Amino acid sequence: MKWLDGWLDKTAENTARSISQKTSRRGFLGKVAGVVVGGAVTVPLLPVARSQENPAPREEGDPASCEYWRYCAIDGFLCGCCGGSMNSCPPGTEMSPITWIGTCENPVDGKSYIISYNDCCGKSSCGNCLCQRNEGDRPVYNPRVSNDLNWCLGTSSNTYHCSTAIVIGAALDE
Amino acid sequence: MQRHNIMKQLILLTVIFSSSAFGQVQPEPTGVIQTLPAPWPAHWIIAHDVAFFHMSDGKFYVLDAESDDAATRVKGIFNGAFIAQFTQATTRPEMYILETFRSRGSRGERTDVLTIYGKDNLAPIGEVVIPPKRASAMPTNYHLQLVDDEKLALIYNFTPATSVSVVDIVNREFLAEIPIPGCSLVYPMAGRAFASLCTDGSMMSVQLDENGEQASTARTGVFFDANNDPIMEKAVMIDGVAYFPTFLGRVVPVDLNGSEPEVGREWSLLGDGDEGWRPGGIQVTERDSDGRMYVLMHPDGYEGSHKDPGTEVWVFDVENKRRVDRIELQLPAISMGMTNDDDPLLLVTNVNLELDIYTAKSGEYQRTLNNFAAETVLMLYGAE
Repeated sequence: MKWLDGWLDKTAENTARSISQKTSRRGFLGKVAGVVVGGAVTVPLLPVARSQENPAPREEGDPASCEYWRYCAIDGFLCGCCGGSMNSCPPGTEMSPITWIGTCENPVDGKSYIISYNDCCGKSSCGNCLCQRNEGDRPVYNPRVSNDLNWCLGTSSNTYHCSTAIVIGAALDE
Repeated sequence: MQRHNIMKQLILLTVIFSSSAFGQVQPEPTGVIQTLPAPWPAHWIIAHDVAFFHMSDGKFYVLDAESDDAATRVKGIFNGAFIAQFTQATTRPEMYILETFRSRGSRGERTDVLTIYGKDNLAPIGEVVIPPKRASAMPTNYHLQLVDDEKLALIYNFTPATSVSVVDIVNREFLAEIPIPGCSLVYPMAGRAFASLCTDGSMMSVQLDENGEQASTARTGVFFDANNDPIMEKAVMIDGVAYFPTFLGRVVPVDLNGSEPEVGREWSLLGDGDEGWRPGGIQVTERDSDGRMYVLMHPDGYEGSHKDPGTEVWVFDVENKRRVDRIELQLPAISMGMTNDDDPLLLVTNVNLELDIYTAKSGEYQRTLNNFAAETVLMLYGAE
């Protein structure tokens, strides 16, 4: 069971991740706060550097792995394991127009990016590649950064299938 | 040819049923359906399998946590569709399940219902159709609450506009929808009232009138930071006070016994030498019959570890704000529950997604409940 593997792996990962986070947590939280302030509860108006001229981030790693950098605040089945990709939905599903966001650091360029975890909806659980990471995740009373909510909202069905991880811009430093 | 065969079979059956051998056995009655005792034994528990891999088929298992027999420890099962939310009455033998259905399974028209299950027959004995807005989310204790001596059921809605549906659970009818803009969840207050946590770090409270409509609202000052060391919504209620642990190990009490929430003085779960320990998991808090608070804790915390499995359960005297016990778990656990008697059992879902049972007051491991077909038990409840 992949979920079980995830929980078990997590205990082993704690030590390594703890070391890396201790050195950068203050900066990380500062970036989150700097990005989300002013966002509405629905679709946040994010002060991100988003334009057609900006190049896509250079990336390395396996998008089917839960450890891939974009998934730092994801909680769900990876759409790339369900017939979609890390930024597209599987055939026959519907992408939620509203979602939660994360702020993830790309190890290739060391920069932080805003990730929109749009859910794909209308079919039952994909069941493949369950991934739960909670960097920057906050309780449901702070919904725009909460991954405990089913974000299949504004879609014809709220049945959850899988989650994408779409880069929508670079995070602005404080 | 076919008719000939059927005739032969009929004749054979007639011979069998008229034989003397059939007459020598007392036939057992058919149509027998078991019922459950009232009240349930104190150490029966309810395990919520949310069926994360097939959410429309969630189940609640009623289990005897004292039994070592994997087969007979299962006392019955009832359903909860699409990551249901659960609560139970103490004054009636009833349980309430918040469910979502669609007319064609994963698609079609959505219907949200508050389903009422009888504890004696585990059957749906009633339902109230509610606005199809209930928050679809991981289970917690604060999506569905009873107030006003269990006359009203309150349901948290998220569309993402937030509101609370009010249901007269005695007469089984929907009464009203109360907007709670910027706030979330329902925490029970004394009388016909509830409180909700708000994104700005305050708490909103709502008093309801006799029709279940909003009579008045109030707001506390800002008492927590929703981003930096936020309080966890997974509070435990002890004598009407909600104790909220924070990500970094503080605890913030909010007294909900009055007409408005009263924020108390915060204190720390951590003592000397406890640096790095943090609360974490799905349901991270519990309380026993003596009013002690239990918190699922893990060492070496980091940003994002607030749902990691706990390796220990720490026990606190909330009056004196001090730790009184420390239970080292056999296996790390992701969620926690408690029976409601004077010699309570501590119930946890371990990282193998089995249920480990401990004697709460001694911390002694009792047994593991597994092999009863549940897949993803995320919430555990003692029988009321």
